[in-house]
Amino acid sequence: MRREAIARKIDNTPASTSASMALTCGGLTKTLGGRRVLQDLDLAVAPAEIVSLIGASGSGKTTLLRLIAGLEMPDSGSITLDGQVVWSRERQVPPERRRIGMVFQDYALWPHMTVAGNLAFGLQSQNLVAAEIKRRVDHALEVTRLAALRERHPSELSGGQQQRVAIARCLAARPALMLFDEPLSNLDAALREDMRVEMMELVRQEGITVLYVTHDQAEAMAVSDRIAVMRSGVIAQFDTPQRIYDAPADTFVASFIGGFSLLPGAATGGYFTVDKYGGSPLRTPAATSGSGTLVLRPEDARPAERHPANRLSGIVASRAFQGRCWRLIVTIGQHRVRIDWAEGVAPGSVVEFSMPPERCTVLPG
Amino acid sequence: MEAVVQGDLRSLIRTNENIMATTLDHDLNQEGAADFNRGPNWHTPGSQVTARWRRLAALTRLRPGHAIDALIYLSFFLLIGLPLLVVLIQAVLPNLFDLTAADASLSLAPLARVFASPRLAVSVLNSLQLAATVAVTATILGGVFAIALMRCNLPLRAVISTVPWLVFLTPSYLKGLAWVLLMSPGGYLAQLGLLPEGLDHAFFALPGLVFVHTLSLFPLASFIIGGALAGLGNEFEEAARLSGARPLRVWLRITLPLLAPALALSAIATFAEVLSDFGLASTIARLSNFGVLTYGIYAAASSYPVDFPMAGSQSLILLSLVVMVVLADRLLRRQAAMRLISGRAKPARPYALKAWRWPLVVMMMLIALFALALPLAAIAFRAVSRSLDAGLAWDNLTTINLVSAVTWDSEINGALLRSLIFAGLTALITCGFALLLSIRLDRAAKVMRPVVLGLSLGAVAIPGIVLGFGYILVWNRLPVFRDWPFPHYGAASLLVLGYVAAAFPYCLVIIVNAVGQLAPNLGDAAKLFGVGAGRRLMRITLPLVWLSIVTAFLMTFIRTVFELPMSQMLIPLAGPPAPPVILKFFSHDQDGPAAALSLAAMIAAGGVAALIWLAARRLGVRLGASRPHQTMPSGQKAASDMMQTGGA
Repeated sequence: MRREAIARKIDNTPASTSASMALTCGGLTKTLGGRRVLQDLDLAVAPAEIVSLIGASGSGKTTLLRLIAGLEMPDSGSITLDGQVVWSRERQVPPERRRIGMVFQDYALWPHMTVAGNLAFGLQSQNLVAAEIKRRVDHALEVTRLAALRERHPSELSGGQQQRVAIARCLAARPALMLFDEPLSNLDAALREDMRVEMMELVRQEGITVLYVTHDQAEAMAVSDRIAVMRSGVIAQFDTPQRIYDAPADTFVASFIGGFSLLPGAATGGYFTVDKYGGSPLRTPAATSGSGTLVLRPEDARPAERHPANRLSGIVASRAFQGRCWRLIVTIGQHRVRIDWAEGVAPGSVVEFSMPPERCTVLPG
Repeated sequence: MEAVVQGDLRSLIRTNENIMATTLDHDLNQEGAADFNRGPNWHTPGSQVTARWRRLAALTRLRPGHAIDALIYLSFFLLIGLPLLVVLIQAVLPNLFDLTAADASLSLAPLARVFASPRLAVSVLNSLQLAATVAVTATILGGVFAIALMRCNLPLRAVISTVPWLVFLTPSYLKGLAWVLLMSPGGYLAQLGLLPEGLDHAFFALPGLVFVHTLSLFPLASFIIGGALAGLGNEFEEAARLSGARPLRVWLRITLPLLAPALALSAIATFAEVLSDFGLASTIARLSNFGVLTYGIYAAASSYPVDFPMAGSQSLILLSLVVMVVLADRLLRRQAAMRLISGRAKPARPYALKAWRWPLVVMMMLIALFALALPLAAIAFRAVSRSLDAGLAWDNLTTINLVSAVTWDSEINGALLRSLIFAGLTALITCGFALLLSIRLDRAAKVMRPVVLGLSLGAVAIPGIVLGFGYILVWNRLPVFRDWPFPHYGAASLLVLGYVAAAFPYCLVIIVNAVGQLAPNLGDAAKLFGVGAGRRLMRITLPLVWLSIVTAFLMTFIRTVFELPMSQMLIPLAGPPAPPVILKFFSHDQDGPAAALSLAAMIAAGGVAALIWLAARRLGVRLGASRPHQTMPSGQKAASDMMQTGGA
C-alpha cells in the first residue's frame, strides 16, 4: 500500500524538490581516460523507492553508482542525499560519512573476519555502543536467516550465503540508500531468482531506498519501481517497468528490452508498411507518418483469424519449447521476428499470425 | 643461486597455490581412473596363466613411464640430493674424508668447535642479526614501494616498475663492490664531499650491510607484497569506507590484516636470502671483518689444507636455519591459502593522490638512485678510470681496464667469454630438461608431481655455497665419482653441472607454471583431431609457452654469467669464469680491472640477452606464437591444409 502511494506521488509531482527526494543527481559529468562516461546526467529517487539502472557495459551505470557512493569524484554537477549535498564544487562528503550501503558484485566480504565481525565492523566504526551493535547485528542476521552461521568465515560459506551476508552487512548499518552492483551475476541461474525475491522482500520490509545496477532487463523489471535505461552516459528513458515495456521511448530502449522484434518500415495515416516484405500494411494505434520502426512483442502474436486485417506470414526458422508455449523464430521478408505460439510449427513451414492493432507500437526513426 | 625464491617470484607464489589446486584435480582424476582400471583385473575370475599374462602385460605397459620417472628422480638425486646428503653426513662424521686418516666415526666435535670459537660463534650471531634486521627493513621498503607502484596514480609508472626487476637481476657482489667504491674513505662520495665525517666507519659494519642488503632485496619484498595487493583488489577497502570507516582505520583493520601473510612471507624470504647470500659476504662483510656463515664455509673449504669438518659443521648450521625458514614458509602459505581463497578481485583502481604524487615519485626515484643508478655509475666510472683516488677528472680516464677485460691475451684470459659460454650451455640444458620434465609432470602420476615440485621449491632455498661444497665432497672425495671421467672434478663440465643444479629449481618452477596454465583441453582438442604427440608439442604446447621458456632461459643465462658461489667453489683448472676473477681483482685492491670486467660482463650479458630475446620473438612468430599463418597466401594455405588432412 505504502509503495503505491509513493508511486502515485512520483507520478503526480514529476518535478519533486530535492528536499523530499532520497537521492538527487544534477548535471553529473564524468570523464575517464579522456572519454565522457556521464554527460550532464539528472536523476531523482524517492524515499523507499527501488530504481534500476540498466544499460550495456560502458553505458556509465557503474560509474554513476560509484560517484553516488563517493568512491569516485564527478567532474561537475551535484549529488544530494536526503536533502544534504554530499558532492558539489563547494562541499565534498567522504564515502564513510554518506550513510550509503553497497552490495558488491563479488560481495567484498572481509575474509579475515567472521560473519558477525563483518556486520559489526561498520557499526564499530560509527562508534555505536556495544549493546546497540549487538542488537543490530542480531536483527540483521535473523532477517537474513544467518544466525546459525555467525561465527563462520566467508570462505566457509556458499555463494548464496555470502550474498546474504553482504546484504545483512548493509542492513545492519541502516543506510539511507543501498546500492547494488550487479549483485546476482555471480550466482547460478537456479539460485538467482530465489535470492532476488528474498533480497527485495528484505529491502521492502525495511523500507530502504535502493539503486540497483544490472545489465539484465528481466531482473530490472522484476525488482524495480522504476527503471532508468542508460545509453552512453545519458538516461534514455526513466519510467516504471510497465510503461517502458508498453511505450519504449525510442528504438534503443525497445531493443534493450529483451524479446522485442523491431521491423523497419514507413507509416502513413495509421498504417505501417514493413520494408522488404510483400504483405499488406498493418493498422497501428497512432496516425503518425514517415519512416519508423514497428515493435512486435512476442506474446502479442495471435492466430491469423483474430485480426484478419493485421496479418503477417513467414517461414519458421527455428523453434524452442518454453513450457507454456513455443518460441518461434519466423523469417518475414528479410526480417526475423520472435513470437510465442501455441504449437511447435516445424522449421521450414509457413506460419500466419496477426497482431492486435492497438499493440502495434510504431517508434520514429 | 644465493637463496630462497630466486626465480620469478610472483609466479612462484602463484604457482604454489596453482600447484595445490591442480594436484588435487590430478589426484581425483587419477584415483578415479585407477579404480576403473583395477576393477576388472581384480574381480574377473580366470585361470592363473591368464592372470599372470595380464600382470606381465601390465608391467610391460608401465615400464617406459616408470623408467622415465626413475630417471627424473635419479637426476634430481645426483644434481641436488646427493651433494646435500654428503654434506650432512660429513658434518656428523667429520673424519670421513680426512686426507691422512679417514674413518667413519660419529663426532659432534666440529660443531662444538664452531660454538667454542668466539669468531665462528659470532659469525652465526652476525648472520642471524643481519638477516633479521634486513627482513624487517627490506619488507618495509618493498611494501612501501609496492603500494606506491600498484595503488597510486604515479607519473612515470612504467619507468619505475622496471627498477625492481633491474635491481633483482644485478648480482649482490657487484652492488657490494660498487658501495665499497662509493663509501670507502677515499671513495667517490668522499671526493664529492657528500660523505659526512665518520659515516664510512659506520658503513663498514652492520649498518652498511643492512643498507646495501635492504636496497638489494626490496624488489623481492615488493614482488611478494605487490602480488598480494593485486590479488586483493580494492573492493574490500571500498566496502569498509562505505561501512563508515575512515581511511586510516580501513588500512589498520582491513588492508594490513589482509596483507599480513604476504608481509610475513616477504620477511621470511628476505631472511633466508640474507642468510644464504655470498656476494655481500665476500665484499663488504669481508672488508668490515663482519664474519657470516656463508663466508665461513667458503674460507674453510678454500683454505689449504681444506678444513672439511669446519666447512661441514657450518654448512649444517646454515642448512638447518634455512630448513626452519622453509618450513615456516610452508606452514604460513598453507594457512594463508586457506583464509584468502575469495580472491576474485578485479584490478584495483589507484588512489588519486593529487599533490602528494610528486614527493612520492621523488622518494621512489631516490630508491632507484641508491639501489641502481649510483652503484652502476660507480662501477662504470671506475671501469674507465685509472685510479680511485684521482676521482672524477678528465685526465683520469682510460680504456686500459676495459680493453684488458675483453681481450684474450690478458691476465683475465677469456674469463668473460668462458662465463658467457658456460651460461649459454647451462641455460640450454636447464630449460630443455625443465621443459621435458614439466610436460611429463603435467600428466604425471599423483606422487610424482607434488614430490618433484616440492623438491624444486625447497631446492630454491638451498644456499649456493653449501651446494658448491657438496659438489666438492662428491666429485673430489667420494669413490666412483672421484674417478668418473665426465664430468670430472676440476673440469669445466663439473662447473656447468653445478650451474645447472643451481638454476634448475627456479627454471622448472617458471616453466611448470607456464605449462600448467595451458588449458588441458587445448591439447585434448588437438588429440581429438588426430594430431600426434610430437606434433602437439611442436604446434600447440611450444608456441603457447614459448615466451615463458625464453624468459626462463634468459633469466638462467644472466644469473649464471654472474653466479658466484658455484664459480668460486668449482673453478675449472683450465681457467676461471668471470665472477671469481672479479672478486680476486677486488680483494687484491685492483678495483679498476674488477669494475671493468663487471661492466663488460653486464654489457655482454645484457647485449646477448637482448639479441636472444629479439631472435626468439621472431622465431616465436614463425612457430605460430603470435599472428599465425599471416605470411602464407591463402591459396597456398588451403593447399597445405589439404595435404595435411590427406596425409593424416
